[in-house]
Amino acid sequence: MKEALVIGGGISGLCCAVKLAEAGVRVKIIAPYPSERSQSVMAAGGINGVLCRHDQGDSVDCHIEDTIKGGSYIAGREAVSGLCRHAEEIIEYLKKIGTVFTVDSEGAPLKRAFGGQSYKRTCFCGASSGKQIVSALVMEVRRFEVLGLIERQLWTFFHSALIRDGKCYGALIYNEKVGKIEAKYADAVVMATGGQNALFGKTTGSTQCDGYAAGQLFLQGVKLKNLEFIQYHPTTLETGQKRMLISEAVRGEGGRLFYIENSKRIYFMEEKYGPKGNLMTRDLVSREIDKVSRAGKEVFLDISFLGEKEIRRRIFEVSDLCMKYRGIDISKEPIPVAPSVHFFMGGLAVHLNHETNIRNLFAVGECASIYHGANRLGGNSLLAAMYSGMVAAKEIISRDFDEKKVDFSSEEAKENMVLQRMRDTKSQFPVMYIRDMLADTMSQNLGIVRNEESLKKGLTDLDYYLSICDRLSFDSSVSMYTNYSLKAILTLAKATLLCALHRNESRGAHFRSDYPDSNEAFAYATIIANDEGQFNIGMDKEHIYES
Amino acid sequence: MKVKILRQDNQNTAPYWESFDVDLAKDMTIAGVLDNINYNDDVIDDKGNKTSRIGWECSCLQGMCGACAMVINGVPALACETMVRDLKGKEITIRPLQKFPVIHDLIVDRTIIHENLKKMNMYIGEYKSVQDKKLKKQEKEHEHQYEAAKCLKCGLCLEVCPNYVDGKSFFGALFANDCYLVSSRNQTRSNEIIQSYEEHFGKTCSKAFSCMEVCPMHIPTLASMAKINRQGFHRS
Repeated sequence: MKEALVIGGGISGLCCAVKLAEAGVRVKIIAPYPSERSQSVMAAGGINGVLCRHDQGDSVDCHIEDTIKGGSYIAGREAVSGLCRHAEEIIEYLKKIGTVFTVDSEGAPLKRAFGGQSYKRTCFCGASSGKQIVSALVMEVRRFEVLGLIERQLWTFFHSALIRDGKCYGALIYNEKVGKIEAKYADAVVMATGGQNALFGKTTGSTQCDGYAAGQLFLQGVKLKNLEFIQYHPTTLETGQKRMLISEAVRGEGGRLFYIENSKRIYFMEEKYGPKGNLMTRDLVSREIDKVSRAGKEVFLDISFLGEKEIRRRIFEVSDLCMKYRGIDISKEPIPVAPSVHFFMGGLAVHLNHETNIRNLFAVGECASIYHGANRLGGNSLLAAMYSGMVAAKEIISRDFDEKKVDFSSEEAKENMVLQRMRDTKSQFPVMYIRDMLADTMSQNLGIVRNEESLKKGLTDLDYYLSICDRLSFDSSVSMYTNYSLKAILTLAKATLLCALHRNESRGAHFRSDYPDSNEAFAYATIIANDEGQFNIGMDKEHIYES
Repeated sequence: MKVKILRQDNQNTAPYWESFDVDLAKDMTIAGVLDNINYNDDVIDDKGNKTSRIGWECSCLQGMCGACAMVINGVPALACETMVRDLKGKEITIRPLQKFPVIHDLIVDRTIIHENLKKMNMYIGEYKSVQDKKLKKQEKEHEHQYEAAKCLKCGLCLEVCPNYVDGKSFFGALFANDCYLVSSRNQTRSNEIIQSYEEHFGKTCSKAFSCMEVCPMHIPTLASMAKINRQGFHRS
């Protein structure tokens, strides 16, 4: 019987696990917390798909074109075609397993409009699409847990992959409850670990998504792609604990961005881009807000003119959030907004079948880089999470795995000794302190607008953090995982800065003030490889990764 | 303000109280208070002694995931949406959920929630839509299913419940709501589900309904119960 390890319990991991189990593959899901805590539950907007009852004029081809254009023409056509062509099947599947979509009187999902799309094609579940999909998938996983085909073990953390001669044989897993690393062998390993939020401290997403897995695999020779493309959401609200997303729906409903000069409101987007200025794409609006903020002025988003009743009806969640966390009544006063890191288009480089450059090691969901090019369209992330999980499962199901087993018990023992040595020391220099410094470095130097000088400054910081992190002793006030994950997270941050420095042009979410225009010579994906400590960066001109 | 926290190094050590002096800003939540204590070069208690960072679980930090469930001034709540301005008294006390084993400080092990749902075969299988002749009724049912599926499995309803002890026989409001969701989305499973609902919820629930007061998703458990009872009545 085939066995697979799925690392991560969000939508892509759950979908992959279910599809594998349906075909009789035995699956272990490795994730410290239940799926209810995954970042997937925060996806509010919806899932894109051209269904049989689509808007007049819309087509799957149009969805493909919008996605490729949205990604500034560097996402691969074949990959994007597969994604969009399977959207209807995926939405039908989600309906079948019991997802509570918002539907019309005949039970067909309703659709809403989203930025960058020519037609209404985003199906949704009220204002909690991701949560509703997670709830349905958790139940479906449970069906296979009952049958003994899927096993979930909470409080387990990914440590490293078991790789020999370009092939993956399983993973080392740290078990928090027993305080030890254990080798778990499998025919295939599927990474479903989400984005790289921790590089920037707190983002609009989950604090659990830290990029460790991508950084660790990179240290082990797995190639990464397009790391420089990081989506900033233009409108987020500062609260005591994080920046919270103010949905694009506010601008969709007519919300106006302004700042105050000589006690007068300056509607800067409308002044520069005309009456539809507030509805420009996320990257452009983010850059304009950033420009105003840098001049020392606060930017506000005003929707008060809609009136209390309409606000309640159309954007209740936004008014609720502003009132709860900031005491702001948006029917009376404007919302202070600023851009914040929201999504990572880059990650583990994968082929069309979602396999990395290491055989039998796959990556799905946000940690894999494939469909979104230089910028992602709203509603395509839930679709990609589901589709990638299905594609990886299909590949594993159809593959013949050889019987050869490799023993990694000496690696297991060695890594346990490393942890023990760490535990025996005490540090006055807390790990969280370096994580905070990293967040400052990345926010300052890899912001919405970058240039050679800022990126090089960031690299100098990173080299310093990396030089001390090996000499750091154990910080007992945080978990073992937080301790051992530091080096890989810093390495990923360095790789990200190097990729941004390499791309001497501006494209999608990557804007270089020293190279403000796009350049055809860079109309490819960036690939970064770690060849025994040497970081090599190149463009995927041969489209090896379907870029 | 004084913030008193019940701490515990690990499962095998005794809990102890530790206090901190915190400068509270307007609009701060308890999550913000914990961050405020933790994100300093040194963590110092109210007597000026150096101590360790406070362990607590978080993920979304905006009331969507249920990770940061704890007991604040005696009330089970999510730290990330409990505003300091809404708390009364001169000090704030924070302790971990009591009905689950403590792993470290405010972090508890809620594995039993998922184990019990697994034991009860809590899955929809295949959604079978029921077309009601009355459109309004159909819409109401759908709305309630949407609410029930928002459950975070945070355990607050179990913490506050006078009937829930250790999850060995009575499984609490989150179980009742899942029972409703499964039996209403796939009626071919409802006989089996209603039976386990009776066994592990219905016959023991003393109807205190404190679960509804603390639910961060405001799930109307009472309505779930009424709907299941109606289904059970039609079947018997």
